[in-house]
Amino acid sequence: MNHARWLIPIAAIVALAQIGFLASMIAGRASILRNGTEVTLAVEPVDPRDLLRGDYVTISYNISSLPGSILGLSEAEEGAPYTVTVRLRRGTDGIWQAVAAQYGEAIATPAADGEVDIRGTTQTAPGDNLANIRVQYGIERFYVPEGEGRPIEEGVRERDYTMRVAVSGGGAAQIKALYENDRLIFAEPLY
Amino acid sequence: MAGYASAVTKDIARWHSSGLIDEATARALTRDVAQHARQGFSFGTILTILAAVLLAAALLLLVAANWEAFPRLARVAMIFGIILAGYVGGAVASRRGSTALSELLFILAATAFGGGIALVAQMYHLSGEETDAILIWCLGTLAAAAALRSPALTIGAVVLGSTWLIMATEGLGWRAGRDIPMSYLLLAAVMWSVSLWTRSAAARHLLLLSLMGFAIIHHIDTDTLVAPIGLTIVSIALFAWCLLQPAESERWLKLNEGGAVQGLIGFIVGMSAIQFALYEEPEFIYVAIVVFAGVIGALLLGGRDNRLLRVLAYTAFVYEICFVYVVLLGSMLGTAGFFLVAGLVLGLLAWLIRRVERRFASAGAKA
Repeated sequence: MNHARWLIPIAAIVALAQIGFLASMIAGRASILRNGTEVTLAVEPVDPRDLLRGDYVTISYNISSLPGSILGLSEAEEGAPYTVTVRLRRGTDGIWQAVAAQYGEAIATPAADGEVDIRGTTQTAPGDNLANIRVQYGIERFYVPEGEGRPIEEGVRERDYTMRVAVSGGGAAQIKALYENDRLIFAEPLY
Repeated sequence: MAGYASAVTKDIARWHSSGLIDEATARALTRDVAQHARQGFSFGTILTILAAVLLAAALLLLVAANWEAFPRLARVAMIFGIILAGYVGGAVASRRGSTALSELLFILAATAFGGGIALVAQMYHLSGEETDAILIWCLGTLAAAAALRSPALTIGAVVLGSTWLIMATEGLGWRAGRDIPMSYLLLAAVMWSVSLWTRSAAARHLLLLSLMGFAIIHHIDTDTLVAPIGLTIVSIALFAWCLLQPAESERWLKLNEGGAVQGLIGFIVGMSAIQFALYEEPEFIYVAIVVFAGVIGALLLGGRDNRLLRVLAYTAFVYEICFVYVVLLGSMLGTAGFFLVAGLVLGLLAWLIRRVERRFASAGAKA
């Protein structure tokens, strides 16, 4: 094959493949925003800033730390981070709480009406028997326009913030909107 | 490379004018030098690649910092446009014979791909693993390198792959007993194959260095000496092969005759890890003797025609003396003793280097 002769079409294919990959990432996220089940979580602040990606606030949620007692074991996976599935149910105050959790990609009993399963990861190995287990859901960063990280971070510390999160059928979570009490501060557009 | 070529061309002209060689030979030699000089990276190419890296960094910072100025769909469109224009434009430049420009555009496009991943993460507040993002970026760049047969993109993929290895290891917190990314070995094998196809010796050199890093990570992680011992043995074998069968090994490895140097580096890295592990044990002195023997052996066997190898061997010799001094004598002698020993060692080394260099010079003159 004369490689040089086909170089320009090949370059176009490479470009379209990479563009297609990025576009599919965007489409996947937009689809979770559009079709995912909406849950409301209470926000707890941690710590800001990342150099390359502009400004963000690191946040944690009422379900970021789970009591070890609700975490069911299943056959251990290979190596950290371990996948954890957490079952959420709406509380009386409108905030969703973790009611069950299990290592692996599913919980043995199916979710009842009004319950949502969300997928997370943890560094804690099955059988470590810790009282509290940190779980990450991939929604722990909230990017804000440059310079606006501090006010939000301080606001989160002083007032009650909640986050609307969309959860896909497969358990993937996507930040949807940030509220201060009932006031909308930020809403994620689809694209 | 260009410097060497112009120097030889001047020499050829001088030999011709002084009657040492005839006109036809002079012309044939000049043509040969000119042909082979083009194989290496010229100074201009290196500057172009540096320019590409700077432009790429500017692009990444633009994505990261200036994100209120444009609506985000415009930024996505800009990234997509740079990817398309970079790859296709690079291909057009390559067809027109301007290699440097085409490599610059390829690197810009691959950077835009990485910037695009970061941008999507920013748009949707993704806090997933940066490690995974770097791996995807690496694989995308590697695929582009293979498809476009680009040496610069191959180097880029190797750098990203090594970054991934480091990040994946840091994520483990350097604690023993965690899983180290064995899949790096597979990735390295694929990158090696791609580098053969894209004819990037620099990428293979970087790969070898990253594999030494992998051996050290394995050593720290598992707390066994399997990897350093393996690395040392493989390095000695590589050195011997490059020395005994220079043409054959070069044909297989295509390291621009840098295989022996890599062998010596691997030997030093592997033995250093063993020394660090054993420095409180009585066996330490035997390990140190092996290192001295290895370095001096490498110098005597392979140093004659290889300046880089000589410099490396001298450096390794000094390093080893310091190491042994700190471990064995440091406790016995005070600071004054250190200066005395250092002075004596440097004097000894200077004498040794002069002797070795003179020997090689006279052997070279005889040959």
